[in-house]
Amino acid sequence: MTTPGEEAPVTSDFVRSYVITGGRSLPSSDELALHTLVTLAPERTLPLGAGPEVRAIWELCAGGYLSVAEVAGHLGLPVGVARLLLTDLAEQGHLLRRAEPPRAQNVDRATLEKVLNGLQSLIG
Amino acid sequence: MTSLIEDPLLWILLVVLVAAVFAVLRARRTNLALRRTKKELETGLGHAQGRIDQLQGHIASLGTQHSGDLADVRADAESSTKAVLKSAMGTLQSLAEEQQLLLDGLLQKYGNDTEVLADLMSVDHTGSQFSRRAKGISVLCGGWLGRREGVATVYDVARSAQGRIKDFNRVSIHAQASVAVTSKAVEPVAMVLAELLDNATTYSAPGTPVEVNIQAVPTGVCFIVDDAGLGMDQETKDRAAALLSADGPVDITGLGDPPRFGFAVCGMLAARYGFAVSVGSVSPYGGVRAVIRVPESLLAAEAVTPAEPVRETADQGRESAPQRLAPVPVGPSHVVGTTTGGLPKRRRRQGPISVVPAPQETAGADQQTSESAGEVTASRLGAFARGTQLGRTTNTTEGPDHQ
Repeated sequence: MTTPGEEAPVTSDFVRSYVITGGRSLPSSDELALHTLVTLAPERTLPLGAGPEVRAIWELCAGGYLSVAEVAGHLGLPVGVARLLLTDLAEQGHLLRRAEPPRAQNVDRATLEKVLNGLQSLIG
Repeated sequence: MTSLIEDPLLWILLVVLVAAVFAVLRARRTNLALRRTKKELETGLGHAQGRIDQLQGHIASLGTQHSGDLADVRADAESSTKAVLKSAMGTLQSLAEEQQLLLDGLLQKYGNDTEVLADLMSVDHTGSQFSRRAKGISVLCGGWLGRREGVATVYDVARSAQGRIKDFNRVSIHAQASVAVTSKAVEPVAMVLAELLDNATTYSAPGTPVEVNIQAVPTGVCFIVDDAGLGMDQETKDRAAALLSADGPVDITGLGDPPRFGFAVCGMLAARYGFAVSVGSVSPYGGVRAVIRVPESLLAAEAVTPAEPVRETADQGRESAPQRLAPVPVGPSHVVGTTTGGLPKRRRRQGPISVVPAPQETAGADQQTSESAGEVTASRLGAFARGTQLGRTTNTTEGPDHQ
């Protein structure tokens, strides 16, 4: 028999994401957009039987607002999976959400220049 | 006297006597001849018997030689079949691994698109099952599983195993131990657990639960798989026990058609890596209870933090702590009086604008008055943008909508 040293390394994710979601359908992105900020509600205790991912979210969100995209990035999970876990926590009342800032509208250059000129004449 | 001679009876008697003597003599001769023939025949028989024994011995030796040759031929055929299968499965294994790596990337890339993500996950699920089959056959043919770089918690090992079977959402995992399995044992234990879970879900009614309990025991950790099926009959139990305790190569052609690899794979991996698998006890739900006992030598010395240990350590090197936005207090603004028109007068918020950190260049521009007019304008515009953004962000919705 050969030695275990001959084995090729396996680097794909050990726990697949559909196991983390438990095969549940994913929430739509309207619920928690990428830029939505989340943080832990005050005086909450970690739910019993929380998985490693939920515990990691708990630690990440304990210190202040963090966007959904950042939470997913730090966990190394696809955004949709992180969103499902965050939605669970939010439904249990553990998370506070703050709406994302509305998208800046594209203003044409001429208007911006007018504003700039106006401001310059005001401020001097 | 003459009367006697003349008596016919006497003559008759004489004739009879002579005939009797003749008869006796003849019988004696015949008897002797028969004895001789018998002796000859007996000798012949003895010879024949000896010949028969000799022939039988010959037949027996030919038989032994034949079965020996047959076994050799079988072993040759088996080993060459295994060699071919091993190499073919090796190719499939690496393709499956490549696909999973690709899917890891795609899942991240399309993470925000719910529908695409769900579809990718179902592709990933079939891929994982495919990979398990390829690995199983490879192991039986003397191939290897591939090695994980890091240790993994028993909970993650169980979840990884769960992901490799069809009905994974019937499985529930309860971990009463939080130890980690050494990197070399991570794949084999997950593989064996997946085979046991596959058996448990296949041989129990759809919809019935399958439970994995992970418990620490004095000699290591036990993964206990309980199903609610009908249990195994004696024949299956014997077959399982034989395959699980097999210490050597397994005859892959003797696994039936369609082949049932499960127990053979379990036995092979358990023997190779030094853990124990047993089935055959009855689960609390009336089905089968299967137990994997991983000895202490295959457990990592120190327990790792439960959350994605490998990833965390990889990230710590190059990423700083998450940059958080401080919560902005949203209270009623201070009413300091009323205007002459009767409207409330409000004092402006004095706190620093913490939501949007100012870029360093503009901060510098504010201090240096000798900056060019363009930069001053830029900094003012920046301040304007920050101000409007602050105005927008303070319009918050706090707390969950459902409450």
